[in-house]
Amino acid sequence: MNFNATSGARHPAQKGSRKKRVSDTAAMSAPAYPPPYNPYASAVPGNMPPNMNMYDGRYVLPPPYTASPDYSRIHPSFPPADQGFSIPSQFLNEPLVANVAMQYGQALVGSGKQLVGQELEKYVPFSRIKYYFAVDTRYVTKKLGLLFFPFTHSDWSLRYEQDGPVQPRYEINAPDLYIPTMAYVTYVLVAGLVLGMQDRFTPEVLSIQASTALAWTVFEIIVELITMYITNIQTNLKTLDLIAYGGYKYVGIIFAVLLSILFHKTGYFIGLIYCSMSLIFFLVRTLKVQILPIGTSPSHHDPYMHNSGNKRRMYLLLFVAGIQPFLMWWLSFHLISPPVPKS
Amino acid sequence: MAFTLWNLLEATLLCLNAVCILHEERFLVKMGWGANQNIQGFGEQPSVRSQVFNLVRSIRTVMRSKYLSILCY
Repeated sequence: MNFNATSGARHPAQKGSRKKRVSDTAAMSAPAYPPPYNPYASAVPGNMPPNMNMYDGRYVLPPPYTASPDYSRIHPSFPPADQGFSIPSQFLNEPLVANVAMQYGQALVGSGKQLVGQELEKYVPFSRIKYYFAVDTRYVTKKLGLLFFPFTHSDWSLRYEQDGPVQPRYEINAPDLYIPTMAYVTYVLVAGLVLGMQDRFTPEVLSIQASTALAWTVFEIIVELITMYITNIQTNLKTLDLIAYGGYKYVGIIFAVLLSILFHKTGYFIGLIYCSMSLIFFLVRTLKVQILPIGTSPSHHDPYMHNSGNKRRMYLLLFVAGIQPFLMWWLSFHLISPPVPKS
Repeated sequence: MAFTLWNLLEATLLCLNAVCILHEERFLVKMGWGANQNIQGFGEQPSVRSQVFNLVRSIRTVMRSKYLSILCY
């Protein structure tokens, strides 16, 4: 399809086909088109034999333009064979033009959306976050079981794709952000519940608890990041990974606080100690793969790595794992109730 | 306990302020903590001290940069 006015002169054989196409579109829509074509159709039979004989070397340039004044009178615009630049309503009614306009509009919207997405990506990495929420029920149940009883799990290695770890849906050892987020919200709700049972509840308490827990998590992650920068340890851990590993402690906190409802102080401490041990075990086994260098790696691939790096990595690992029980205790000990005195 | 986000923000601001107002020439060099006083080879791992100095220096540079001064207006 061509909208060019001079294209008819270049390729006279197209005139016959254009006539056919124009009559097709005239049959489809645009009732204004058939009348102006009549003088064109009457002028064409005289041109048909020269079209068939174009190989004689004769160009049929003169004949169509002698007919042009005829239908420029009837159709006050360019020749309708151009199918464009006419009265706007007829322009938009033309289905071919409407299709092109729709595609152009959709392309504009698509590029606008892409631009907005790129700008937002700079501040909040949405595509990275989506990876951490790619979980399913089977993964969540297995992970929760692993958080409470990691002692029998044997294979802690991560499978990798081309640019990152496999999605949590397919890999039980990969970190996710779904469990920490849910556990954080549940922690705030359980805190409200427990305080309500002790008649210590006010609505501000909920927001204070939420803000406190969030502040401690942010502080812990900042300390970990600064430590990793200062000690110059190169790992594959990203910030979101650290957020994920820091959020697993809320599961233990919830368990301990729920135990404290039934068994008061002793139940709370038993639950806290058990959850701390299992969380420490879980974190040490998981992070050992990522922080400590693999013992079987060839030594020539990194001539700049010292043996002292191992010591630093071990300290970092112990720090990350050891701060968890302390924070678990700090975030929950004010929620437990004193034992009810027997009257 | 009630260590909320606001308290964290306050603490961060005070720490950043402390890092910025430490004058290099007057205090740090005298105590042997100047930024140009460490000599180390290219291939070795940077020591903890040099990393801390780099961190302090970069925080100071960012805080004094033009971007933040534009934010004030």
